[in-house]
Amino acid sequence: MHNKIDEGRFRELLEESDDLHADAMRQARADLRDYVDAAHEARVAAGLERPRWTGLAAAGGVAGAATVLASGVAWAAGDDVAALQTAAGLENLAVQTYKTALTLPFIGGGAANPVVKTFAEKTMGQHSEHASAFNAAAQRLGGKPQTGPDPKYAEVVKNAVPTIKTAVDVVGLAITLEDVAAQTYVKDVGLVSTPELRQLFASVAGVESQHKAILLAVQALLKADAPQLIALPPDAAKLPSAAGSVGFPDAFFPTTLAAPVQEGAVR
Amino acid sequence: MSIFPRRTKRPEMAISERELSQMTRELQELHDSTFPQVRKTLDELTSNLAQVVSKPSTRRSFFLGAAGAVALGTAAACAGGPSGPAASSPAAPVPEETYTGDLKVVALATALENLAVTAYGGALKKAGAGELGPVPPAVATFVQTAMKQHADHAQAWNAVLSKAGKPTITDAPLSITQDQVAMLNAAKSVPDVAKLALNLENVAAQTYTFATANVSDAGGIMTAATIQPVETMHAAILNYVLGQYPIPDTFIGTSNALKPETLTVK
Repeated sequence: MHNKIDEGRFRELLEESDDLHADAMRQARADLRDYVDAAHEARVAAGLERPRWTGLAAAGGVAGAATVLASGVAWAAGDDVAALQTAAGLENLAVQTYKTALTLPFIGGGAANPVVKTFAEKTMGQHSEHASAFNAAAQRLGGKPQTGPDPKYAEVVKNAVPTIKTAVDVVGLAITLEDVAAQTYVKDVGLVSTPELRQLFASVAGVESQHKAILLAVQALLKADAPQLIALPPDAAKLPSAAGSVGFPDAFFPTTLAAPVQEGAVR
Repeated sequence: MSIFPRRTKRPEMAISERELSQMTRELQELHDSTFPQVRKTLDELTSNLAQVVSKPSTRRSFFLGAAGAVALGTAAACAGGPSGPAASSPAAPVPEETYTGDLKVVALATALENLAVTAYGGALKKAGAGELGPVPPAVATFVQTAMKQHADHAQAWNAVLSKAGKPTITDAPLSITQDQVAMLNAAKSVPDVAKLALNLENVAAQTYTFATANVSDAGGIMTAATIQPVETMHAAILNYVLGQYPIPDTFIGTSNALKPETLTVK
């Protein structure tokens, strides 16, 4: 396999990406604080909750607030906690799947395309952070964290793993998981009860859809037996015409595959 | 010489273009099957907006971010404005606030989508004139497809404006437009255009992300939610084409979302 990659430049890009990511994480934590504050205020206004811990949350950050409220009763409206738990389950499954994939020689081993391997590693890390964010929010709302995988798609992965023979198989499975996650979060934007939580779900949906876009492009090149074109930077002149559009098939992101909001709820 | 408009000679590839084209067609069919659902959401949005046209739409100041990415600058008012009834008669009195509440977000989104169409359309023209150097076939396909999707978005938002009795917006009345057009005019290569497009896609994605939290109508929220991932996907591919890691952020931010005052029509 011929892979064209400037490892040094690639590492630099990853470091820059990590810096951007750190900024985004700070924003996401702020969004979570806003959400919990807003949900709490609503409960206080409705006489269902005493004002008590806003200062603690601000001082302690996500982890501190999660500890303070870990044993509390869930007071978020409607399906908010269930949506967060279901989302965490989808993220946990994605982490497990990428972790398993990275044990395969053609994804994480010597025969792997370095761009694909790095993508799998970095994407696994992003899913892990999404899971942490969703669980932190669920806990701060008095719910339990979802530490297991989504039950429905865990079965899909379990059944698929023994049949995996090539990188194309792995990428196809990953596309399924990314698509379900993105569609679920898009739909959840319309289901949850506060602006801050809507923004959180939208924020993560946009990232899962990016994973899907890149995987669709990678899948197309692998199926066309052109792994050498999966490189960073790419040799754009050699990419086939259709590679320019295969990554974003819909003008409006669908939600038909969205997981039901209770699918991964902790009972 | 540009190969963009007439690709008589393709780069050598040991892969099946036919197979990839077939996949694209299948995916396009999938898109076409999704569109009716979006139309339904938009119709509901229109119906709701007709009843609450003057309602303020935010619980905190709307679109807080720094107006656009740094490269977008803060240009003076752009050319153009709304079309249709209010724009067709210059002498007619124009309402002080034509677009208010959620409809202001709809108008902002329409203008932003039109700006994207303008940028990609301008890139096509420059490519056709050979002003960008050689244009890889995949980049040409990207530009054409992304432009069509942005046009679909603009059309959807304009349908809402029209049904709400407001003038549709057929150009890009945004304070950033002049700078964007200047940057496009100055572009000399595919990477120049790709950077411009990436910036616009990121701004659009962040604007829609923020809109999900700051629009009050459920239909409007969902429309923004279903468009935002498409813009992020465009951005991922553009990052890749530019040789940058395609998914640099773990969460889509909002600091570069456009403010409603970016809209230059009232």
